[in-house]
Amino acid sequence: MPYNVQLIETLSIIMVMTSVAAVEFRNLNRAAQAYRLQALLIAGLICAFAVGNPALYVWAVVAVITKAVLTPHFIFRYISKAQEDEVPAILGFGPSVVIASGLLFAFYKLTHTYVYLLAPTPEAALGVFRTNLAISLTVFVLGLYAILSRRDAIKTVIGLCLLENAVHLSLVSLAPSLRETALIGVATEVVVTVYLLLYVISGIREKFGTTDTFELANLHW
Amino acid sequence: MEHLVSSNLAQAVFLAPAVAAVLAWLLGRVRRVFAECAGLLGAAAAFAVSLGMIPRVLHGQILTGWGRELRVDSLSAMMVLLISGVALPAAIFSIRYMRHRRLEDAQGRDVTDARLTVFYALFLLFLATMLWGCVTNNIIMLYVAVEATTIASGLLVAFYWDKRSLEAGYKYLMLLTVGITFALFACVLLYASGARYLHGVNAMLISELRGIAGVIPRSVAIFVITFFIVGFGTKAGIAPFHPWLPDAHAEAPSPVSALLSGVMIKMAAYALARTVTIFFPAYPPLTAFIVILGAFTMLLGGVMALAQDDLKRLLAYSSVSQMGYVIMGLGFGTYLGVYGGLFHLLTHAAAKALLFLCVGAVIYTTSARSMSELGGLGRRMPITAVCFFIGAFSLAGLPPFAGFMSKLTIFLAGADVGMWAAVAVGAFTSLLTLIVLFRAGQAVFWGSPRSQAAAAESVGEAPPSLWVAMVALAAVCVILGVYPGLAYPLLHRAALSLVGGLF
Repeated sequence: MPYNVQLIETLSIIMVMTSVAAVEFRNLNRAAQAYRLQALLIAGLICAFAVGNPALYVWAVVAVITKAVLTPHFIFRYISKAQEDEVPAILGFGPSVVIASGLLFAFYKLTHTYVYLLAPTPEAALGVFRTNLAISLTVFVLGLYAILSRRDAIKTVIGLCLLENAVHLSLVSLAPSLRETALIGVATEVVVTVYLLLYVISGIREKFGTTDTFELANLHW
Repeated sequence: MEHLVSSNLAQAVFLAPAVAAVLAWLLGRVRRVFAECAGLLGAAAAFAVSLGMIPRVLHGQILTGWGRELRVDSLSAMMVLLISGVALPAAIFSIRYMRHRRLEDAQGRDVTDARLTVFYALFLLFLATMLWGCVTNNIIMLYVAVEATTIASGLLVAFYWDKRSLEAGYKYLMLLTVGITFALFACVLLYASGARYLHGVNAMLISELRGIAGVIPRSVAIFVITFFIVGFGTKAGIAPFHPWLPDAHAEAPSPVSALLSGVMIKMAAYALARTVTIFFPAYPPLTAFIVILGAFTMLLGGVMALAQDDLKRLLAYSSVSQMGYVIMGLGFGTYLGVYGGLFHLLTHAAAKALLFLCVGAVIYTTSARSMSELGGLGRRMPITAVCFFIGAFSLAGLPPFAGFMSKLTIFLAGADVGMWAAVAVGAFTSLLTLIVLFRAGQAVFWGSPRSQAAAAESVGEAPPSLWVAMVALAAVCVILGVYPGLAYPLLHRAALSLVGGLF
């Protein structure tokens, strides 16, 4: 087993912490910085796994370009100078952090214990791959939590980015032999989608005067 | 009797509109009319290629491209014909229709020409991605294609860039992307499971994965099935994942609505069919679950449609309801059920696209789209009125129109497997659909005008380039209703490709 288990576990923990930061920071610029850090850590994690599977180095490069360079660049571009802090969510900062952390621990425990139910191959349920899968699913739930609980449209986009990052990280455990072209296609699509979402949100800001999703209530029933 | 034949048609069908999209984007900057021409030519080329595929496929050939990356069997050929067959009238319709509304930028300057160039480029790209999704044999590329259709159509949904369109566009992009991510999980899990038994690239090929669906560990299979239903089901408008649909289909420009409702959700249903039916032999209870999902969807859509005043939202909810029929048919799991589901895919595509174009014609002449504002248009828009009622009756399942035949097939399939409750729900929803659409037609075309917009002297029949598309689709509804056997050769093989027998 060539994997540096300690390194992987350390990187995973810090990565989860930056994910929580990206969700919880009220200042959108800081949240985007936290997201960028998370993306770099994910690339680092992929490199840690690449020791046993050299093809993953390409994945790490793709991750850096799409997640740590392009996506944060777009997010920064579309954060308005006038509205750097997000529209506050219903949940206050304190309760939200508590709920997020609670979700994290509960979900990590759940997936780590029952990973064999989800693992498509016996290898995926062992050792570092097990940890990786559990971590990815945890961050997935965190991203989903962000999308559902945040009121600011840009924050929901950050949540979506976290969600996608988690899925791509899980590919390391689930499909290590996936062709690079497939991964590039998948990663690029997310960047384009994020760009389009941000572009539409800029239109929303122009017409509605705010990025508050509660204002988006013209269409009902 | 697998007869694989390498052919360029498989690539050509989606590369042609993709190239046309680039041409529209580049040439449209010179003159808008070049973009419109590119739009027409791209759609026509796709249709021509899809027609070219039909004879070969009916002779038992399966067309492959790029090795075995692309694979066109009867089901794919049918989908490709459906998609391009609806896109062409929609493209013809959009030329005149889209010119009608002046588009301004933030400073109030006229940017109509520039925006229309973008429109046609995106339209063709949207068409190309849908076609690609139906010919790809690679499970990961299927995900990529479905996500690509969302990307291509996102800006089309938000095209008018006003409050309503922007809200619809945001919800559309957000909900569909989250949904499709579940499908990605499913694709990857399926691929990874397959990789244990199949070597190398084969594990990504859907045609190969069929064989191992029964051998995958049970819990993994359940996750895969669930995530596919959530992922592709969201895109197909299955309840309870449908909320994005009424907003998007109502706020998009009418020709785009015709494509979204008439074609895109069908393509998602195709993806669902391809991926979930491989599990039918090994997991019989799955069929019951899908039938229940279909019944729930059709009822919900039908009831919500009843409550609408806005014509386009009404049609959108009706689309949700009709997709329930398709899912129910597929869910029965028998040859007859799958045949009925696929047939309904065809008839609904024609009828719903027709209805959206008719509503588009009404919007074109009166600028109104609520039933409470319209009325008495039948006298002044006879062609539109007749086309609308043909579409409405076909959708409601009245003879001698196409919808009657497809719904009958689904009901017979349900009776065949003894699911009488499902048949009852289907029949009730048909009645509901009839009431909803008849009421809509009556409110718009009969009686007297209820507002200034509808009563205006300038209101007359839509120009020929608009009604020619409508008449073509109406003709399909009538022809398939009177001669359902026309579709039999293709549908027969398509159904067999899903429910064992052939491949």
